[in-house]
Amino acid sequence: MTLALIPMGSTDEFWKSVHAGGVQAAQKLNVNIIWQGPIRRDDRTAQIDVIENMIVRGVKGIVLAPIDNMALRAPVEDAYRNKIPVVIIDSNLESDKSISFVATDNYKGGIMAGEHMIKLLAGKGRVAMLRNVEGSASTDNRERGFLDTLKKAPGIKVVSSNLYAGATTETAYKASENLLAPLKSASSEVALDGIFCPNESSAFGMLRALQDGGLTGKIRFIGFDASQKLIEGVQKGHIDALVVQDPVRMGYLGVEKLVEYLQGKTVEKKIDVPATLVTKANLELPSIKELVAPDLKRWLQE
Amino acid sequence: MNKQAIKDWLNRFMPLAALILVYLVFAIIAPPSFVSLKNLELIVRQTAIVGLASLGMTLVIISGGIDLSVGSIVALVTVCIAWLLTAGCSPLVAAGGGVLAGLICGFINGALITRLKLVPFIITLGTLLIYRGLAKGLAHEQKIDAPLSWINELLAALKSEQLWMLVPGGVWLLALLAVLVALLLKYTRFGLYTFSIGSNEQASRLCGVPIDKVKLLIYSVSGLFAGFAGLMQFSRLTVGDPTVAAGLELDVIAAVVIGGGSLAGGEGSVLGTILGALIMTVIRSGCTQMGLSNWVQEIVTGIIIVVAVVLDRIRHKQEKK
Repeated sequence: MTLALIPMGSTDEFWKSVHAGGVQAAQKLNVNIIWQGPIRRDDRTAQIDVIENMIVRGVKGIVLAPIDNMALRAPVEDAYRNKIPVVIIDSNLESDKSISFVATDNYKGGIMAGEHMIKLLAGKGRVAMLRNVEGSASTDNRERGFLDTLKKAPGIKVVSSNLYAGATTETAYKASENLLAPLKSASSEVALDGIFCPNESSAFGMLRALQDGGLTGKIRFIGFDASQKLIEGVQKGHIDALVVQDPVRMGYLGVEKLVEYLQGKTVEKKIDVPATLVTKANLELPSIKELVAPDLKRWLQE
Repeated sequence: MNKQAIKDWLNRFMPLAALILVYLVFAIIAPPSFVSLKNLELIVRQTAIVGLASLGMTLVIISGGIDLSVGSIVALVTVCIAWLLTAGCSPLVAAGGGVLAGLICGFINGALITRLKLVPFIITLGTLLIYRGLAKGLAHEQKIDAPLSWINELLAALKSEQLWMLVPGGVWLLALLAVLVALLLKYTRFGLYTFSIGSNEQASRLCGVPIDKVKLLIYSVSGLFAGFAGLMQFSRLTVGDPTVAAGLELDVIAAVVIGGGSLAGGEGSVLGTILGALIMTVIRSGCTQMGLSNWVQEIVTGIIIVVAVVLDRIRHKQEKK
């Protein structure tokens, strides 16, 4: 049995991890998967082309991470008409023609960050949040989850939550400086106790700004997603915690749920791939190591 | 057969032979689905966007010019259509407005090239960025979601009750316009002038060809066809996307060149161009259905472009002897 696993892009670490998870599931369940996606992460047309080709090729099912919640509706509905079931992973699609949606609940991830922040500050202090970019649904939900959780702690005051980091590390660095500048006093003390950044680039920009300002360790800092630099930050104690998604598991579950459906089992409409809190204390655990630096080579034979 | 007839025949035969060869290779090595009728429909459907834009590019390249802005025009057109639809216009008005935007972009290209006396490469490199920027600005750097309408059926897979159409409306539009452009090139003064400017601009000027007028028309037509391509792009996407079709101009130029067009001007044919566009889709479709990585398709397409031009060169040398 041949299935297609279609990511948003093929070059990012995140999608390679999804691929590794898909291969794991395929080997265990004894199915074939074709890994095909557009080169650029924003190339909607190329992704549509790939799905159409997979439909014609007659794959038995498709696991898809849609680049766009609207533009990918037509090919998914085309697959549905051709009786090819589609499992959506990572990002939502505005269509009821898919059999399941496997993704990290970003709102819950935000709550996780918020609860840890309250714990770190013992329920009392001034907190700032640097937003990601305008109109990004996944990070909007993380930000909402974080702020909603902080409201439950009356001792915590949110002093800044309206600055956007922008798409790159460079813009995030500048936005971080702008966030910190008005809070600095003459004696180089900062009127701030905690910071949350909702994705990798904003967290890295903030990390650089804190390091350059000599503020690391003085402010409790929680980020989202992992990269080598951010993990180093956790090791050095510059970052207190990272909320980390599990793309390997996402790829695995996507393929597994599709196979279960094809075997006639009922599959839940929505499946959460829980995020994990990574701190200095649990960084050395084997399960966390596998999460932040999965052994991709073993599965992808690269 | 006289010499000219042999040349014409060769011009037509080479791209067709290449298309058949590529198709046969994939028919053997790709999964059996590749030779299905459904895949043929898919291939022509996926060729429509590049095909429409390359009709205009054929004229431009025959005249010895180049139009690098077509990808950006396509993006701008999808944004215009989505914007008009969300503003409450009827689909017909939105589609017409989008195609008109493409025509205006092409007219501006032509006006700048003839007024400023700069080479088309520079002007259209500039407008490539300008139109892309306009599209992003108009869309506030986001995609615009638009309500579904009959526009989205133009290039969608046929449903079972539409099978009498054989291929979707967008493909018929491509076929119709291709025939029109071919007739235009062969039987009108405009076609004659286009070839003559591309072969020798100075001599044409001395013979009284209204160079600027003809060029203005050529680039306007190129914009118009980019407008149609944009309409088809929107049909597929269902949203206005300012980042779409980045690099499309290279596919379009490649289609013309594989089809026997010469970047030195004076040569090219509509049939060749369409065959060139089909060759590239066949490669993409075959590689995707075989599960090959993207880089393989890119290398294969690159090799075909180089081989096509080399064969073209060899043919020319033989003719001179």
